[in-house]
Amino acid sequence: MAFDIVEWAAMDDSERNGFVGLVLVSHSAAIAEGLAGLVAQVAGPDVPIVTAGGGPDGSFGTDGGRVFEALRQGAEGAGSVVLMDLGSAVLSVRAALGELGAEFAAKLDVADAPLVEGAIAAGVTASTGASRDAVASAAREARSVDKF
Amino acid sequence: MSTSSEARARLPETVALHARPAGAFVKCAARYAAAVEVAANGRCANAKSILEVLGLGAEGGTELVITASGDDAAAAVLELAGIVPKLG
Repeated sequence: MAFDIVEWAAMDDSERNGFVGLVLVSHSAAIAEGLAGLVAQVAGPDVPIVTAGGGPDGSFGTDGGRVFEALRQGAEGAGSVVLMDLGSAVLSVRAALGELGAEFAAKLDVADAPLVEGAIAAGVTASTGASRDAVASAAREARSVDKF
Repeated sequence: MSTSSEARARLPETVALHARPAGAFVKCAARYAAAVEVAANGRCANAKSILEVLGLGAEGGTELVITASGDDAAAAVLELAGIVPKLG
């Protein structure tokens, strides 16, 4: 799968090109991976995206270990903005940040934003070489921008 | 010295300012330091915000009014007005 964690993990820092990345956490692997594909279509191929979707057995849910690994990878290079869908996805991210410790957490910015709109806004902003602060701000703006 | 610039450009008849074309437009606008706005259908959007640009709901054939202010405003407006008819 194009956005599988294993494939992304093969990147080293130099391949991340200095672009801020996205970590997408969802109860559904299909949502997380589909969204990664959509962001890549709109924002282009430069933005590193890692997904952590679904529960440990492939069901709907969140997998703490997978979320931990996604955040660990997202902290590489220029770091990442983290977007989640609901409930336990938020709790899993918080737990993983605590386990990762301050050094990793300092390179991750967790955005309280709608997942799809936030990821599109963040991805397009990241593709311009913007800072992590700017990328996170773009994600949060998705809370207030009218859709029509 | 800060300058302002404005230009009009029409979307291709068959290309609405939907996700991918809007992404290309916003990425272009973001390369400039100038503040850039794009207006259509009586609404105005920050040209560097994909969600605002999508919110314009500009259909194919719509005329966009692109305005910019800042040092590189003229170049920004020139390039953006140039790419609009070629979006696809």
